[in-house]
Parts: sequence; structure tokens; C-alpha cells
Amino acid sequence: MRRTTFTDDQLRELLPRLRRFACWLTRDVSAADDLAQATLERALSHWGSRRDDSALRAWLFAIAYRKFLDGKRHARRGALMLELLGRSAPTEQPSVEREVVAASVMEALERLPDQQRHLLLLVSVEGMSYREVAALLDIPIGTVMSRLSRARAALHRLSEGESAKPPVLRVLK
Amino acid sequence: MSDMHDVDSTGPFPSEVQLHAYVDGQLGDADRVRLERWLDRHPIRAKEIRGWQRDAQQLRAAYGDFPGSARHRTLDPMAIRVRRANRRRAHLATAAVLVLALGIGATGGWQARSLTTPAIAAPMADALQAYRMFATDRHLRLDMTQHKPGQLQAWLGKHFPHAPPLPRLNGAGFHPVGARLVATDSGPAAMVLYENLQGGAISFYIRPPAPGKGGLPHGQRRDGQLVATYWSGNGYNYALVSPATAADLRTIHAAAFSPAT
Repeated sequence: MRRTTFTDDQLRELLPRLRRFACWLTRDVSAADDLAQATLERALSHWGSRRDDSALRAWLFAIAYRKFLDGKRHARRGALMLELLGRSAPTEQPSVEREVVAASVMEALERLPDQQRHLLLLVSVEGMSYREVAALLDIPIGTVMSRLSRARAALHRLSEGESAKPPVLRVLK
Repeated sequence: MSDMHDVDSTGPFPSEVQLHAYVDGQLGDADRVRLERWLDRHPIRAKEIRGWQRDAQQLRAAYGDFPGSARHRTLDPMAIRVRRANRRRAHLATAAVLVLALGIGATGGWQARSLTTPAIAAPMADALQAYRMFATDRHLRLDMTQHKPGQLQAWLGKHFPHAPPLPRLNGAGFHPVGARLVATDSGPAAMVLYENLQGGAISFYIRPPAPGKGGLPHGQRRDGQLVATYWSGNGYNYALVSPATAADLRTIHAAAFSPAT
């Protein structure tokens, strides 16, 4: 009944999920927390415009996803500037921790394109419905399905079909 | 939970979409049973589907964990509200300095007049002032916010040992959310902020009586857009302040006269 406390509690309950989603997107815990924070700030300043309580997760995730894409666009512009200046954008340096070969499914997932990776995580781990994912990623549900189909086939091929090959070290961003 | 009726319900059974929906638990019961029977007769497809299911399980095992809570405190909604409010206040302060700089010449004469005219103190004027400062700039500078029922009462009891139970405004849809201590000429006072679903605010104000003065008679007065009900008891003065436009004005202020025990 206590609206302010109630909705804040709802938000608090969703925090771990929001941070996990942000981690999937940014693949870096501290960048993920920045993203989660920016998301919450945006959410709280637009609190009145949210639709209903049951859609709170979808709404938060959608804000996070848009912010993430905006951030990437900025980063791309930054990289472009560096190129124009004759320097290359800094690449990820492998760290000992990151060189540890992940379990085959993790390794396989990291080799998928971003779009497929996000989709698989949202559907398989976050347990979102196809409709929710379509709304979140702002794509038609048919695209969700075809992308899911490709993602699943690719993941399986990579994690199983190619497990006989020597493991490819992949830097997890 | 089945999304599939609006994706695909015609054509040969099972469709690719239905196979994925089966793996993701998004297929209706009837289709699921039908699909399981179909898989019994199609071992090659069944093996592939089991592979997808295994992949999904492994993904859940690998990615299901939540990241550590290093910065959980800074991500708390209340902390974020406070930071937003502080930023807004910083902007306002900058603006205020500009306004002051521009306006100082124009209003100097008027200000001098107000400084030389002694104000006649209306009862519990500080309660109204506190409401204007804190209730209209929500969550700004609250000393404590209530996360569990009873916390505010305990906090109040710590600062005002003989404090009565907080007025119950549930009937009018208002619930206590936080409180702030303020200084008065007769000692510390506190303002407890209540909110309703629409974000409306009501304050309960408690203070020691002014030096040399006893308690207040029950009373009510209107000051601009606000209505204050005031009374005394247990050695303190109290006021309940709400906007004069509050829909449930009578219920709200009746609570002041019959605090719950």
C-alpha cells in the first residue's frame, strides 16, 4: 500500500537483475554499475510515465538498453576521431583472468554477435517472453524468432560441433 | 505463458518457432504435449532440441549469477533520488545567486522594510515553513527514510522521548516516508513527511513549546495554499500541515485530533 516505499522496494528487488543485464551488455562490472546507475536516474526522473508495475522490469531494461546503445554510438564516434588523428582506438588488453578459457558454452556465447548474445541471455537466462524481448530490443517478434533460431544453431555449433578444435582464446570484453 | 498464438499458429506442425517456444517454456500446454509426442517419433529433431535445452541450461548455470554488490548502496533508489535532488539544488543555487545579483538593487528597499518590521508570529509558523522547505522539495535533505514500518516511530522516540504515536493517515491514503530534524529557538523540532499514491505530501511537525509559553489550544489556520492543524500534549506542540486543496482535508486533519494509540 505504501506507494513510495513499495515501488522503491520493487526497484530494489529488480536491482540485481538490472545489474546483471547491464553486465551482459557492457561485459564489465564497473561499466555495468555506471549503466545501472544512469538507468535508475533516468527511470526515477520519468517515474510518472511508466506504464504499470508488472512491466517495470521490461521498462527498466529498455532504458538500460537504449542507454547502452547511445554509449556505444559515442564510443564509436570517439574511435573514429582517434582514427582521423592517425591513432587506433585502444584495443582490449588480455588479462590473466580474461585469458582463462571459459566453459565451452561461455566461450561459444562470447563468439556470437552482440545481438544474438543479448537475445539468448534475455530469453534463456532472464526468462523473458518473446514479446517482451521484441519490445525491449525494438524489433518485430518475427525478427526475434529468426535471430533466436540463428543464435541457437550457432551457439550449438560452436559449443559442441567445434569442441574438438583447439580452444580459441577469446578476450571477454 | 504462451506468446506463440500471435506469432505462428498455422502451417505445418511443428514450426521452427514452436520448437524454440518449447525449449523456452513459452508453448501452451496443448501444443507442448502434441510436440512431445511428435518428438518421440522424430529422434533426430529430438536430439537437436535436447541439445538446445542443454545449451540453455548451461547458459543459466554460467550467466545466472548476479554480480557482486560492490556499489549496491549507490544504486539504491533513495540514494539516487538524493543525488538528483542535490544536483537540482546546486543548479537552483547557481540560478538563485544570479537572481540575487540582478535583483539586489531593485528589491533592496523592500528588503530593508521587511527587516525593520517585526513579524507577528502565527502559531506553528515554523511547521508551515518546514513544510514549504522540505515537503515541496521531496526527499531533499531528509535525515531518515523509512524502509520498514515502525522505523520512523522509533526514530521519533529517540529524539522526543515522550512523543505520541504518529498520526495515522492511512485512511486518507497517506503513509509516512521519512523525517527531518530542524532547529528552533526552543530546541530541536522534527518534521515527519507523509506521501500518498499521487505524490501528495503532508507533514507532521513536533516541537518543544516556545520558552515561557505553555501548550497550544487545538486550532486550525490557513496560510496561503496550506492548512495547519495544531495542538499540544505530552509536553510538545504539534502541527499537521497539508495543502488546502487536499481532497480528503477533513479526514486528514481529523487524524490530528484522534491520534492512534
